[in-house]
This record gives sequence, C-alpha cells and structure tokens, in this order.
Amino acid sequence: MLRLNQMKVHTKYIAGLIVVIFFVLCPLFLNSERSYFIYFLYTTFIYITIAQGWNLIAGYTGQVSLGQHAFFGLGAYITAITWRAGLTGYFDPLAFLLSGTGALLLAAIVGVVLLSKLRDDYFSLGTLGIGEILRVAALNGGSFTEGAAGISLNSTAYKSMNHYYYTALFIMLFTLVVIVLLIRSRVGLALIAIREDETAASANGIPVLRYKILAFSIGAFVTGLCGSLNAYYIFHVHPPGVLSLNWVVIPVLMCILGGAGTFMGPILGAFVLSIAFELTSIWMPEIHPIFSGAFIVLVTLFMPSGIMYYITNHKSMIMRRLRLTVFKWMNQKA
Amino acid sequence: MKQRSILYRITIRCLFILFIGFLITGCSKGRGKEIIIGSHLPLSGPGGLVGLEQKWAYDQAVKDINDAGGIYVKEYDAKVPVRLIAIDDESDSGKAAAAVERLIKKDGVELILSGSNGAMGVLPGMITAEKYKVYYHGTLIWLETFLEHKFKNCSLYNFDMGQVIPMCFEVWNSLPKDQRPKRPAIFVEDSFDGKMMGDALTMFAKKFKYNVVLHQSMGLGAKDFTTQVIKAKSANADGIICLANTPETVTLVRQLKENDVSFKVFQGFKGTWPTEFYKSLGKDADYILCDGFWSEDYPFKGAKEIGQRFFDKYEKHSTSVGLYYALCQILFQAIEKAGSTDPVKVRQAITDNEFNTVNGKVKYDGRGVALYTSGNFQWMNGKQQNIYPFNLAKYKIKAAPPWKKR
Repeated sequence: MLRLNQMKVHTKYIAGLIVVIFFVLCPLFLNSERSYFIYFLYTTFIYITIAQGWNLIAGYTGQVSLGQHAFFGLGAYITAITWRAGLTGYFDPLAFLLSGTGALLLAAIVGVVLLSKLRDDYFSLGTLGIGEILRVAALNGGSFTEGAAGISLNSTAYKSMNHYYYTALFIMLFTLVVIVLLIRSRVGLALIAIREDETAASANGIPVLRYKILAFSIGAFVTGLCGSLNAYYIFHVHPPGVLSLNWVVIPVLMCILGGAGTFMGPILGAFVLSIAFELTSIWMPEIHPIFSGAFIVLVTLFMPSGIMYYITNHKSMIMRRLRLTVFKWMNQKA
Repeated sequence: MKQRSILYRITIRCLFILFIGFLITGCSKGRGKEIIIGSHLPLSGPGGLVGLEQKWAYDQAVKDINDAGGIYVKEYDAKVPVRLIAIDDESDSGKAAAAVERLIKKDGVELILSGSNGAMGVLPGMITAEKYKVYYHGTLIWLETFLEHKFKNCSLYNFDMGQVIPMCFEVWNSLPKDQRPKRPAIFVEDSFDGKMMGDALTMFAKKFKYNVVLHQSMGLGAKDFTTQVIKAKSANADGIICLANTPETVTLVRQLKENDVSFKVFQGFKGTWPTEFYKSLGKDADYILCDGFWSEDYPFKGAKEIGQRFFDKYEKHSTSVGLYYALCQILFQAIEKAGSTDPVKVRQAITDNEFNTVNGKVKYDGRGVALYTSGNFQWMNGKQQNIYPFNLAKYKIKAAPPWKKR
C-alpha cells in the first residue's frame, strides 16, 4: 500500500509528466498549420523560458534585471548574421548554440561590471542600459547589422509550425530542468541566501559575485535561445522588433503575477497572462490595453506575492481533497 | 480578514472564467454565409493615428458593399455580405505576426487586408500569411522588400520610391529659381523606412543637383532635436526633408522656430499627414509640405464623397483614406471576378484584371505589384492643398517666409 507522503511526490511528477506528454502529443492531434492553440502554446513556451531566465536572477537571487530584451535581441541578431553569412542554416543547432553562448558571454561581461558595483534599483537601471546600448549599436552597425532596415532572412525556407513548436517546447523543458537542478543544489541555496541577505551570505563564505554572474548568465543563455528561435520565426531581425521592451516587460509581469522566486510561478503567470491578453483582444479589441492593465493591477493588488503564493497558502485544502481522491482510487486498484 | 478572503475568491473566479472563456472562444468561420476578411491594424502604439484612419476606410468600404447587398460570388450563386475582423497589432512587428496567426487559425480567414507600418506591420503580416498560403492584399511596404521575399500569395498596391523621391525635387524645381533651396538637410527617423528613404533621397538629390549639407537621424520617440537643429543652422541649410512620426515632427518644427532656423521648403513625410499635426502647430504648420497617398480632389468616381464622409465624421481632411478604400474596392472586385473566395483564385484575379477605384484605374503586373502616383500637399490655413501630381493639382507651391516675417 502506498503511503501518503510518497503519494505527494509521485503526484507532482506524474502530473508534470502527463502535462509534458500532452504538450508533446498536441501537434499529432491538431493540425499545427491551422491550429491557433499550437501557436498559443508556442508563444507561451517562449514567454515561460524568458520568465524563468529572469526568475533565476531576480526571483531566486534578488537582482532585478531589466535587460532581458538585450539578450533576446543579441540571440536574434547572431542567428540572422550567421545565417546570412552562410555560417549556419535554417534551424541550425549551431546557430542556437552560438546565440545562447553570445548572450551568456554578454551577460558575464556586463555582469562582472554591474553586479560588482551596482545594487537594487541602480543595477536594474544599469541592465536597462544594455538593451539601449545594443539598440544603438544595431542601428549604427552598417552593413553588419543593416542598421535600422534590419536583416531580412529567407522566408521561403519555412517548412512547418511543428519545428517551431517542438523547439520552443524543448528549450522550455531544458530551462525548467536546469532551474530545478540548480535550485535543488548547493548553488540554489547560495542564490537564495544572497537574495535573503547578501552580507550574511558573503560572511558565510559564499562567493556572492560569482553566483550572481552565474545566475545572470544562465538566464541570458536561455533568453538568447528564444531570440534565435524568434529570428527563424519572424524572418526579419530589426532593432524595434527584437530589442523591444516587450521582451522584458511581459515576461517580468508574468513572473510577478505567477510568483517570483517560485518554480511554478512563471509557468502559471505566463499561461494566465497570455490567456488574459488573448481574450481581452478578442472580446474588447478597442480597449484591450486598458482591460489587460486593469487585470494586472487587480491581481497584484489582491495577490501581491503572485498566484503561486495564494495556491501555496490554500494548498493544504486543495491538495488534501485531490490527493485523498487519488489515494482512494489507487488503493482500490491495488 | 473575511473581506480579504472574499476578494481572493473573486480574483480566483475571474481567473477561472478567463480559462473557461479561452476554451470556449472558438473559430468563427461561416463559409458561404459571409465572406470573412481579416486585417491587423496599428490601432494603438506609435502608428495609432494612421491605423484609425485605415480602419475607418475599411469599415466604410465594407458598409458600402454590404449596403449594396454584398459581393456576387459565382461559386455560391448569390450576393454574399462581407465581415471585417480587425485586430490591433499595437504597431509592433511581433504582434503583427501574432495577429495574422490568429486571423488565419482562430477566425479562419483566408483573405487579409493590409496592415500598416511597413517592416513593423505589413512585412511580418505578409511573411506569416505566406507561410499558410493565405492571400494578403498589401500596401505600404517598400517594393524592394516585397520582391526580396518572393511572395507568391501576396500582392502589393503601393507608391513607387522611384516616383516619390524625385517628386520632392520636381516640386522644388517648380518654384521660381531664386526661391528654391540650394542646401537641403535630410532628417530621417531611426527605422527601416528612415534608412531606405534617407539613402534614396541622398542619391536623388545629387541627380537633381541639390547639395545635401546634412544627413541626420531622429530617434524614435525622441523628445529633443536641439542638436540636429543647431547642426542644420551651422551647416546653413535652407531646405529640409523630414521623415518621422507626428510627435517627433511637431517637436522638430517647434525647436526650429525657437532657434529661428527657417527653411524655404519643409518637405515632410508621414508625420506631417495628420490633421493633428496642424492642430498641434497652428499657423506654424503653414507652408509645410506633406506627401499623401490620395486626395479627395482627384477626379475619380467616389473620391469626393469618401473625403466628405471622412470630414463629416472627424471634421478633418485625409490624404490616405482613399488609398485604403481603394484597396478594399480592388479586393471586392477581385472576389467577384474570381467567382470564389479561394485565395489562389482571388490572387489570380488580382493580376489578371483592371480595377476602378477612388484612386483611379489600377492594374497589377505578373508579380502582383501595382504602383500608384503619390501626391504632394502643402498645409495652408488648416487644409492640405494638393500641389502634385501637376496634372491633377489645382494649387501651386509657395516658398515659406522666414519665421520672423510670418
């Protein structure tokens, strides 16, 4: 007979596995070329990835970065430039790797400067500047970045939405696994210690700067991967598109809405906010930004710590009922 | 505590309703009963002013065709009404692609009317439509960009850069010799359009023997152009060609006046179109030129009426609504000629036929491209006076006096 606490862990893994299998099987039952649900999941996976990247540095480590769009844009530009130069091709794993690594290196270099010198709001403003620097560099990059005109890619290369969907799903799962492993390791403990009290963490022998840079770089790496995928999707990389503040504001909102510093928060936040944006633009196209804004205000007002904290606080009640049902059912089967 | 708990419950229920709403909001395709045409428009964001005019024109065209009973479609042997689904793309390229995805996959649209904003709207829209082999009836994107992507399911009804750029200098040359600018400055926004236009203007200026003394870029959304104004002053520029959004152009004109920098001719693109430009500047906007896609003074059937209708609604004139209305007229006629709403047949009908519109007769070539002659206008006492094409214009350009003599 299964014990209740064993059930707790198993239910989590089984539920996670069922959801992943559902996502993997979706394109087999839905025509990805005609299903909006597939596209919706594709964009949500991208947002979850970027939000998790941000969650690692801001939610777990307590360093609020506003420069994720710079890593996203850099990833897109690296893919576009290498493809145009013939160094990589359409959906080339090398391009993804280069884009992620480029973003990681930028984060590491910038991180050494910013994370060692700046804290709190000053660090946030500093990271916001990275995006602006990159935007100006792209605008004045001459034939290398094609300036304001941007780089047009060969759109006839498009084959199927399935490529995009599975790549986004893979990148998201990869990110989630990395985050779980990190958070459950000594590194995760160190990151949380830094968030709670940087001085105390340092006094206890934690190399604060090294861990901060690590979190910042990993977040940048996964965001760079998303930028690369977006370049393949949009086929035109230009500064206002890939270096738009939307690529930082929306994932941050998702993370805060779901619950920063929690594993499930960005996932939940991404789904809720994506659905809210979709529905408001369908139901009230003329005034949807007002409703979307009001929705965010309402949730942050009544759930300031995010949806995950609400669920955690009421978890015992919700989960007790759920587990007891499953437990009874499994025991009957046994 | 109890009150807080109620609020929690309300919020949770809102979240639940959202989720259920998402699940039940389904596809709205009604084949045969109505022709659903989609469009993604910049109804908010920097291109919002343009998008609202565009949506108004599309709505009018749909209303007019429905008042006439709809489009006769041979396949159904009946007149079928048209329904337009317009989605806000927020003047953002990513959202434009997402809007087209939604039009195709959620609303089941197979015919899409053009968005706006070139690379920020039309291009991602066209690329997305092309992926799913849906017909995109486009305008407002550079011909070179359109051809570069080798679109097979899109068409383009646009002005020709080879006509628009020389137009500036042809208009300048129509001034008496002593009133013509000799040392123009070029100010273009940091965008795809700005880059393309800036390069072309510099090239054509040489051809027309104008010596460009300054080429400056203007940051998108920037609030201060003092540096550029001072540079223009020290370069002794006496004419200016400016491509920027309305708020930036208004700021530039104000700062030119504050710094007493006068130009004989101020040729504006894009930002000087809307009536809001004149409302913001008042008499300071007089003598400033704006390009335009169309004029209600054109002698084409329906042009005056559509212009009057726009004026009655908003109490302002427009140099663009006729283009968008014409775009709809072309599509509706093409559906009728194709006898079907099948995107391949409609696209074929577009390239095979000639169409009568409020912007004159339109004939597409085999690449799916039709070019029209862009107009040029001069603001004078709150009205855009048509000064080009010379054969249609009733007004002649006047050089601007210095600020102090106005």
